[in-house]
Amino acid sequence: MIVQTQYFRYDGEIKLQSGATLGPITLAYETYGQLNADRSNAILICHAWSGDAHVAGRHSPDDPKPGWWDDAVGPGKAFDTDKYFVVCSNVIGGCGGSTGPSSINPKTGRPYGLSFPIVTIADMVEAQRLLTDHLGIERWLTVTGGSMGGMQALQWTVSYPARVRSAIVLAATARLSPQTIALNEVPRQAIYADPNWNNGDYYGKTPPNAGLAVARMIGHITFLSDASMREKFGRRLRNGSEGYGWRFDPEFEVESYLNYRGHSFTKRFDANSFLYLSKAMDYFDLSYGLPSLADAFRKVTAKFLVVSYTSDWLYPSWQSKELVRALLQNDIDVTYVEIDSNYGHDAFLLEVDRLAELTRDFLRRVETTH
Amino acid sequence: MTLNGSRPDLDAIIELIPPKSRVLDLGCGDGELLARLIREKQVTARGVELSEANVRACIARGLSVRQGNIEEGLADYPDGAFDYVILSQTLAYLDHPIPVVNEMLRVGRRAVISFENAGYWRTRWRMFRGQGIGGDLCSGEVRARAITLPQFEAFAACMQAKIELVRLFAGDKPVRILPNWQTRVAIYVLSRAQGVV
Repeated sequence: MIVQTQYFRYDGEIKLQSGATLGPITLAYETYGQLNADRSNAILICHAWSGDAHVAGRHSPDDPKPGWWDDAVGPGKAFDTDKYFVVCSNVIGGCGGSTGPSSINPKTGRPYGLSFPIVTIADMVEAQRLLTDHLGIERWLTVTGGSMGGMQALQWTVSYPARVRSAIVLAATARLSPQTIALNEVPRQAIYADPNWNNGDYYGKTPPNAGLAVARMIGHITFLSDASMREKFGRRLRNGSEGYGWRFDPEFEVESYLNYRGHSFTKRFDANSFLYLSKAMDYFDLSYGLPSLADAFRKVTAKFLVVSYTSDWLYPSWQSKELVRALLQNDIDVTYVEIDSNYGHDAFLLEVDRLAELTRDFLRRVETTH
Repeated sequence: MTLNGSRPDLDAIIELIPPKSRVLDLGCGDGELLARLIREKQVTARGVELSEANVRACIARGLSVRQGNIEEGLADYPDGAFDYVILSQTLAYLDHPIPVVNEMLRVGRRAVISFENAGYWRTRWRMFRGQGIGGDLCSGEVRARAITLPQFEAFAACMQAKIELVRLFAGDKPVRILPNWQTRVAIYVLSRAQGVV
């Protein structure tokens, strides 16, 4: 499946949740499959923290790597592009072609850096709504995503209840727990502590790669689980049988994995975007300013499929159960499954076969009811 | 369960639920009862089920179910959210039946409870021969409580629940005499007695 990234430009300004404004806005997006005649088969996939618009397929025949969720999106897959018109766009605040802190501020002619306004999950959804209008899609068959993508799916059902027939929310939450905020703050501190960060003003100079790499390593720990680390690395050494080296170089396989992941991340991700997106998640709380979480869903009409994973300690099952409770209190049609998996938070990307079965059955029901 | 695949209680439950009711099935298994209720009675159906495999089977049938332990409570559901809350062949496996049945009577106008009667003469005969109640230890079946008809009726009384309807079965046939000897499967429909909160 060969796909090209497209760009949608909105010349106006949007009002952000914080009260600030942002505009003009560019959104990078990709589409897969065909929109049907009555425009009823459109699925929006929202990406997580480090994702982008390139969810599946390859950009050219010799592209070495497919999109970030290629296992789940394509002909015959969980989100079947033979049946559905699938759209994925890079969030605002990101660095995958959409407007973010590394974009040029048209007012100054220089990259925004920290002058980029704080954006929230609701602001990301507002930008996606502009793209939705541009594509001529009145109502999404489903909006889906894992982690931060799941938060956007939830936000869609709340912000635009009439435009979402269903939501598939994977490994997510309706509001971040203090543990997860803590696990976002430490990576931010790692970036702040890198002198190259320079208060976000590093474009055209040396970027804060050391800080960003540490930040990403912490992230990878939270994406795995105790069990998956034991399975994947054990106490194995890189040198195998040579034994301990009695020095500080990375010797254990788990260390070299984290180092590799951390450093390769700096080649594709902007440190400021990393900061902005983590802050967007910290602020995410659908009950903010309301008496209870249930109050957030009063006008929601979408059907829900909520999935959590037993070993996910970043967005643990109790948070999905809390969400399900709030939905049930509003008499919303919700299906909840806790998938037994050792893969930790990463399970939403990896347990694709079990997910495919669920999405097929769930979407069939959404399509046949109103 | 231990009924050799025969579930006369399912037919009876379907018969007593009026069309287009709102129904919650606790411990809905693979969703057979809910699917039949939708097909035969056009009900609005919801289910709760503990096992991931069964939840998947329900979703494959196009049902709206949530994975969860019914003993962790039904607090999520508003008062009177359902016309009927069903607990089919599950009472015997509950650790704490009182809070579950209390909640059934809160979220539903009627509670439908079916169970195997431990007073059934064949069961007594098995006991008499020293064979015990329920499956063999080797069967892997989880620990179940033995419940007789008088025991259940005493339970309903202490729950201050009104017995609205009783259906008793030996095999596929209704029971007429000596109910606690003849009945293999019992279905009770309970409601909250008037004036009790």
